Amino acid sequence: MKIIEVNNLSKTFKVKIKEKGLKGSLKSIINPKYKIVNAVNNVSFSVDKGEIIAFIGPNGAGKSTTIKMMTSILYPDEGNIKILGLDPAKDRKKLAYEIGTVFGQKEQLWTHLTPYDNFKFFGAIYDIPEKAVEKKIEEFRVLFELDKFINTPVRNLSLGQRIICEIVASLIHEPKILFLDEPTIGLDPVVKENIRTLIKRMNKEYKTTIFLTSHDVGDIEKLCKRVIIINNGQLVLDDTMENLKYHYLNQKIVEAKMKEKVNLDDEVGITILKDKGYNLKIEVDTTKRSVADAIRLLNPDNIIDINISNVPLENIISDIYRNKE
Amino acid sequence: MRKYLFIIKTQIMSNLQYIANILLGFIGYFIMLFILFNLWDYLYSSPDELINGYNMNQMTWYVIVTEVLWMTLGGRKLCRKISNDVKSGNITYNINKPYNYVLYCLSTHLGDVVIKGIVYTFLGMLTGFIFLGSFPKLNIISIIILLITAILATTISILLITCIGLVSFFIEDSGPLYWVYSKVILVLGTIFPIEYFPSILQKILQYSPVYVVSYGPAKLFVDFSMDNAIKVIVAQLVYIIISYVLCNLIYRKGVKRINVNGG
Amino acid sequence: MLMEVKNQIKVNYLSFKYCIMREMLNKATFISNVLFMILNNSFMIVQWIVLYSLKDNVGGYTFKQVLLLWALASGVYGVAHLFFKKSFHLSEVINNGKLDAYIVQPKNILLSVITSDIEVSAIGDVLFSIIVFCVSGFTIKRFILFIIFIITGGLILTSVTVILNSLSFWFNNADMIADVGDSLMTSFSTYPDGIFKGLTKVLLFTLIPVGISNYIPVKVITEFNINLFVINIVVCIFLILLSNIIFYSGLKRYSSTNLMSARI
Repeated sequence: MKIIEVNNLSKTFKVKIKEKGLKGSLKSIINPKYKIVNAVNNVSFSVDKGEIIAFIGPNGAGKSTTIKMMTSILYPDEGNIKILGLDPAKDRKKLAYEIGTVFGQKEQLWTHLTPYDNFKFFGAIYDIPEKAVEKKIEEFRVLFELDKFINTPVRNLSLGQRIICEIVASLIHEPKILFLDEPTIGLDPVVKENIRTLIKRMNKEYKTTIFLTSHDVGDIEKLCKRVIIINNGQLVLDDTMENLKYHYLNQKIVEAKMKEKVNLDDEVGITILKDKGYNLKIEVDTTKRSVADAIRLLNPDNIIDINISNVPLENIISDIYRNKE
Repeated sequence: MRKYLFIIKTQIMSNLQYIANILLGFIGYFIMLFILFNLWDYLYSSPDELINGYNMNQMTWYVIVTEVLWMTLGGRKLCRKISNDVKSGNITYNINKPYNYVLYCLSTHLGDVVIKGIVYTFLGMLTGFIFLGSFPKLNIISIIILLITAILATTISILLITCIGLVSFFIEDSGPLYWVYSKVILVLGTIFPIEYFPSILQKILQYSPVYVVSYGPAKLFVDFSMDNAIKVIVAQLVYIIISYVLCNLIYRKGVKRINVNGG
Repeated sequence: MLMEVKNQIKVNYLSFKYCIMREMLNKATFISNVLFMILNNSFMIVQWIVLYSLKDNVGGYTFKQVLLLWALASGVYGVAHLFFKKSFHLSEVINNGKLDAYIVQPKNILLSVITSDIEVSAIGDVLFSIIVFCVSGFTIKRFILFIIFIITGGLILTSVTVILNSLSFWFNNADMIADVGDSLMTSFSTYPDGIFKGLTKVLLFTLIPVGISNYIPVKVITEFNINLFVINIVVCIFLILLSNIIFYSGLKRYSSTNLMSARI
């Protein structure tokens, strides 16, 4: 079932160009100059119920603009969006009951209140009866292990605990879709892992569809089965994580420790990444030469130790960014 | 001394770019002047009538001068900045610097208000001329003396507000104190000349800051006399010394307190 | 519909309660803010004591009526700033892209934003207004009218402020226009209308509706007049509707934080 449908979505911004200095300021008052920025340009995609989607792209690619149009914050110039059959531009309130949002570190919580009271406040925002909220909070307390800090004022919580509370607060009304914009930015690895666990758990327990933007490859790799990449306002790639990893770039990294030196210069399909005498690191293009063939070139008897791995996702992604610019 | 002049100059330069804001800031005061002009126009049955020794032209000009002095000052911003300095502990960074904090504040803020002062004086005079169609009779010497008293008045105001800001060393929030100060100046020194108040209050006001920061210069503007000018300037000089010493005293006590408490 | 209103009120009530709780964390500051505002306003009465020592009548108002005018002025100002503080900072909210959090909630955006913070010193304004009202002559009937008028007046002031601040959706520097509008509303509200003539007077009952929010109530409380009373209520409702229409039509142009990041 398609839960999100985005068709030919476009949005432009008119940006005032301001020159520097007093003269520039006066000039821009009398004769303002504008520049049209195509923030989002003819973007289409759809999402099924229960998916975890990574929506990625470099800074300024149009990720936030797209998410904001999907959550009623911005009005699209062209194209249409259907979220659970609703149009965000027209059915803002109805849609708000169905979706949850966590936008980076924008504070939605009252810092002088405890998470418990904050959750109750969010319950009121979504018209949930008192009893039901209390039950829900209890459920979350157990499921997401909030015991340690649920009764501590938010201002005394660590950044990680705060983000966890932000996410949990946005789940109080059991949204069908959760939009997460950079949920793990600026957090330490342990907290990142906790948040990923939390996200996975709610996807599993509540079948929540998750629409995630992140610059953190770990988030994408560990959570998402599907990736949508956007750059300069345009859709660049929409594929499963597996395809992205194994087919989009047919390259393997072979690291080998050798008894004797081998000369692989000028061999088709092999790029030497590192050659430190007996330690060799090469990249094999499997469309041109199989990995087995590459190992044969090295001579199996000559190999002390070998490690064959995929190209790191990070490199793949930055490669895609670069190629499509 | 040279470093303080340099600070003033830098502040003036950086304030030049906010000229549009300064012009807009005048609108609020123009509204005030407009209302008070209407008030006097209503209260005076004829322009030559005297109320407490002032005719209508004099009353209007009096208010314009005191308002220009007041709005140029921007006292709330200054007070807030100093108490923030104190509360955030920024002020302790200044202890080891080779300048006097009070003089530093004074020169920064003086530099801040120069452009505003020039613009508001011009606009204030223009407003008065539009309302009344004439200027008070003044010659070059009296104008120079008036400018001196205006600058001294602003200096005293800055020092007194610095004192109030520095009180943050000892109490949680000096904002309310500033309120009281500003209301005293506004009510007793801006709208009416001190002749409007009961004679006992008049005697007190003669020695209060009201006399040196607003009444003195404004009275000279509407009714200039050399005798009064000398009286005002002498009083202003005395006030500068007192307030400067007071500022430094509070500053030193305050810094010591921070050191004792370990900041 | 009724349920929706009830839920909306519940959220606003909670938000107000939490704001008060937050401000009460520091009791000394809280109390001194309130008390000093009362003191601050009391100072302003001195001006009128002086004026009425010269004449018995200023702009057609007796001294008691001027007290009533002051009670209304600080009451109206207090109600608007206590309950709707953020409407006075709405252009900032719009320009800095801070509306996002309210848009994603299934509540009235405008109401949620403007009630999201309170001005503690405005409690002082409201208390002051009640004290001064009592001095100006207390009867039950007058008091009921007074309470109605500081509420409608507060709503009128808030609506005007919202309208002016909403211009930020169209113009970058609308906050300056809004500031001018606010100082016009507050400055004129503390002087009797009789001292103004001609065009000024017309403006005070139209573009700068201080006449409706403050001068009419003085007249109605002094001597009840059903027509003037109705005008006050009708204008209040009209301005609330107008402010909603303008805010929501501007919202379509809302650009969140995107404009900021694209500054050159």
